[in-house]
Amino acid sequence: MPPILPDFSNSVKLKYVKLGYQYLVNHFLTLALVPIMAGIFLEVLRIGPEELLNLWTSLHLDLVQILCSSFLIIFIATVYFMSKPRTIYLVDYACYKPPVTCRVPFSTFMEHSRLILSNNPKSVEFQMRILERSGLGEETCLPPAIHYIPPQPTMEAARGEAELVIFSAMDSLFEKTGLKPKDIDILIVNCSLFSPTPSLSAMVINKYKLRSNIRSFNLSGMGCSAGLISIDLARDLLQVHPNSNAVVVSTEIITPNYYQGKERAMLLPNCLFRMGGAAILLSNRRSERRRAKYRLVHVVRTHKGADDKAFRCVFEEEDREGKVGISLQKDLMAIAGEALKSNITTIGPLVLPASEQLLFLLTLIGRKIVNPKWKPYIPDFKQAFEHFCIHAGGRAVIDELQKNLQLSAEHCEASRMTLHRFGNTSSSSLWYELGYIEAKGRMRKGDRVWQIAFGSGFKCNSAVWKCNRTIKTAANDDGPWADCIERYPVHIPEVVKL
Amino acid sequence: MVTISPNNIHHLKSSMKLTSVVPATVTGGKVHELTNMDLAMKLHYIKGVYFFNGDAVEGLTMYDLKKPMFQLLQLYFPAAGRIRRSETGRPFITCNDGGVRIVEARCDETVDEWLAMAVEDDSAFDGLVYNQALGDPDLGFSPLIFLQFTWFKCGGMSVGFSWAHVLGDAFSASTFINLGGKIMAGPVPHKSMHIPDSAKSELPLSVLPKLKPNSLRRVDSVGDLWLTPNNCKMKTHTFHVPADKINHLLSDQRSKVSAFEVISALIWKFMSKIKKNPEETRMVTLCTNKSHKREFEFPSNGMVWSTVEATFWVAEAEVLELVELILNKKIDENGLITKRMGNNYSEELSSDFITYGSNLTFVNLEDAQIYGPELKGKMLVYANYTISGVHDKGVVLVLPRPNYGKKGDGVNVDRTVTVVLPENELTQLKVELIRNWSIT
Repeated sequence: MPPILPDFSNSVKLKYVKLGYQYLVNHFLTLALVPIMAGIFLEVLRIGPEELLNLWTSLHLDLVQILCSSFLIIFIATVYFMSKPRTIYLVDYACYKPPVTCRVPFSTFMEHSRLILSNNPKSVEFQMRILERSGLGEETCLPPAIHYIPPQPTMEAARGEAELVIFSAMDSLFEKTGLKPKDIDILIVNCSLFSPTPSLSAMVINKYKLRSNIRSFNLSGMGCSAGLISIDLARDLLQVHPNSNAVVVSTEIITPNYYQGKERAMLLPNCLFRMGGAAILLSNRRSERRRAKYRLVHVVRTHKGADDKAFRCVFEEEDREGKVGISLQKDLMAIAGEALKSNITTIGPLVLPASEQLLFLLTLIGRKIVNPKWKPYIPDFKQAFEHFCIHAGGRAVIDELQKNLQLSAEHCEASRMTLHRFGNTSSSSLWYELGYIEAKGRMRKGDRVWQIAFGSGFKCNSAVWKCNRTIKTAANDDGPWADCIERYPVHIPEVVKL
Repeated sequence: MVTISPNNIHHLKSSMKLTSVVPATVTGGKVHELTNMDLAMKLHYIKGVYFFNGDAVEGLTMYDLKKPMFQLLQLYFPAAGRIRRSETGRPFITCNDGGVRIVEARCDETVDEWLAMAVEDDSAFDGLVYNQALGDPDLGFSPLIFLQFTWFKCGGMSVGFSWAHVLGDAFSASTFINLGGKIMAGPVPHKSMHIPDSAKSELPLSVLPKLKPNSLRRVDSVGDLWLTPNNCKMKTHTFHVPADKINHLLSDQRSKVSAFEVISALIWKFMSKIKKNPEETRMVTLCTNKSHKREFEFPSNGMVWSTVEATFWVAEAEVLELVELILNKKIDENGLITKRMGNNYSEELSSDFITYGSNLTFVNLEDAQIYGPELKGKMLVYANYTISGVHDKGVVLVLPRPNYGKKGDGVNVDRTVTVVLPENELTQLKVELIRNWSIT
């Protein structure tokens, strides 16, 4: 939606007016302070040093008063520092790179589909059309059990996939950070659709022989936005427990959830969801200040579950033949838009510069008082953030957000390329996107990153990070993008002809 | 003695699990053009089977067996492609990474029991090689290669492959499998494959004389299901020909003669005796290899097809006369086949053709390294190849046996001879061979 000002946007003059306005409002306090300081300085110069000394002695301060004042200052400072929330650092993170033996090109996926759904050519056609427009590439991976014709989703295979993904990510994290298993104080694992007993977090504790007084949590059923929910939980715990390390593992286990029926609304996830996982190390230790990559600034969670339509729009249920699948309703995009608006309304005041907030406030007042026909002002979030990580839920989601937030193609590049290379890896996709930005060498100290995730429920969660140190792309980097980053960005056609 | 019953095969088939393996890297939209020689072979399939003992495969998982295939297909990406048709209807291979189908199966017999069954009845191999023609159900979605890994009760394993002849000849197939075995032993440096000269240099069509090739027979168009229409049931049988039997016949010959010529001459003579009509066996087709290394070449149909015609009554002739004919009087037909196939797609109603079995066909695979693959340094117990989609006149394949360190000139390695013939003729041939040569 266009801004309230008349549409001379192409005019250079307007651009400079806008820049001037932003500079004025954002640095208002500085700009106001400078003349005052200058005035005082000139006054001091005018009076002269002897006059100042006379002024000082006339106050008749004695030792007791000086001591009390200083104690008061120290006391206030201590209370301030004690009640300040602890800074949460993201030390480092590791994303799982599936082996080449799990690769699923389009042609293989379609061929297997035709053999599995041989009695339902319409469903096969549907899947083909989805795949053509999906934005996925030819290197996405499915777990070994799903490669069989028909797929063999046993519980053993699901556990096997979980071990493969989670342990690889954890090993990689240990190597990158030098973390010892005994130093983990908090462990949070989130995996929406696979929840065995004992839990996946217990599986990690067993494998790495973690401490017996570890605080472990396992979040399941919370959809693709569960990654940020885990970060939020870790943050709250790290506020309570001083000097601690928290490891968050985000993943989605595909094996048990491959839909084997023919309902079209339920076939969509088969085409989009792929193997992936990430392990993140968070800490509130002061010693990590130097080497941490990011600082957590805000986490904002919005839940639209109170609305029935939002609640049902992503729903796991049985189809007419009794096969379980996740059914996606047609109004999914509209509901996502609503959830996003809600989230933005909360996060806007926290992150937007004063200039944008003022404009928004003025438009709001204007719409209420002057003329309700004025279009609402969409704040320019590009001024609040340098990088955007939009959950790679599907091409439609990224397109919708790009339109709503008026982002450029470069801002959405990380999301689109992650969707192309890894598919929809659910809660871990945000970390692959962050890895992409780092691998491209675009992450500088002070850059702000906005991670947005949508999930069933319907939820929209955001996290804001600030980059702590410029991240150089090392030659021996072994992240998931290491061997293919030179090929990106690729142009992804609207429709890939199969 | 354990005999093949429908139960054994049924049990095996019900244990089958199918997956696919694909190239390790994205191939992109490459196209592999099919030459006229390739298209002449489109209704035929090469089937091979390799047996390993328990100690060669101990501790190997399916993952270990599948993993080298990814690098192998990265090098041989046309093998992972699918058939498509151009606007003229001419088939080509699109290298779309569709992959190779892998079949896993379990068997209740031991390797030795199965081999003993096979001696009696070659249809034992049917259970070990997945049988599916191109076009069943969709031509554009049919893999060109099927690989079946069957695990036996004793811990041994068989690797059975079905290879569409349109992709390449038996030497290409054997090289492909051998390279797979090498990659399993250790990574192979990535060399880019090149198109072999035989595929590049097809003579300009106008230069050749206007003769029809005799080794090519026309059949009605099969459409999109590439199966040979057969009038009678064909059966396969394997004979073991020991070296001394061959040497016995070559005792006073120049060393230019190899076992292939001798065996071909013998079987030609016996088949002529068996068939009532001498006209039917007047002419035979020979399929031999130009000796060149195939290792880093794309698969191709590079064998030489020739025909030999006897002006006398074959059944009464001396074996040495026939050997002489085969050596010296064969007529190379590759050019003619190429031309005939080239004209096919420019005609209004294209038909289809068969080569194997249009006449009695003898295939020289003596130099094929079928005992090449090794697992954990251990050699194969047994290897055998056959052709399917063979027409009524039949096929004889001459294969080597493992050369356990024997040296010297002449023929001192045994041979495996696999024949594919109509059922009744096969029975008669067996009788002839036992009677005249005590070969079983």
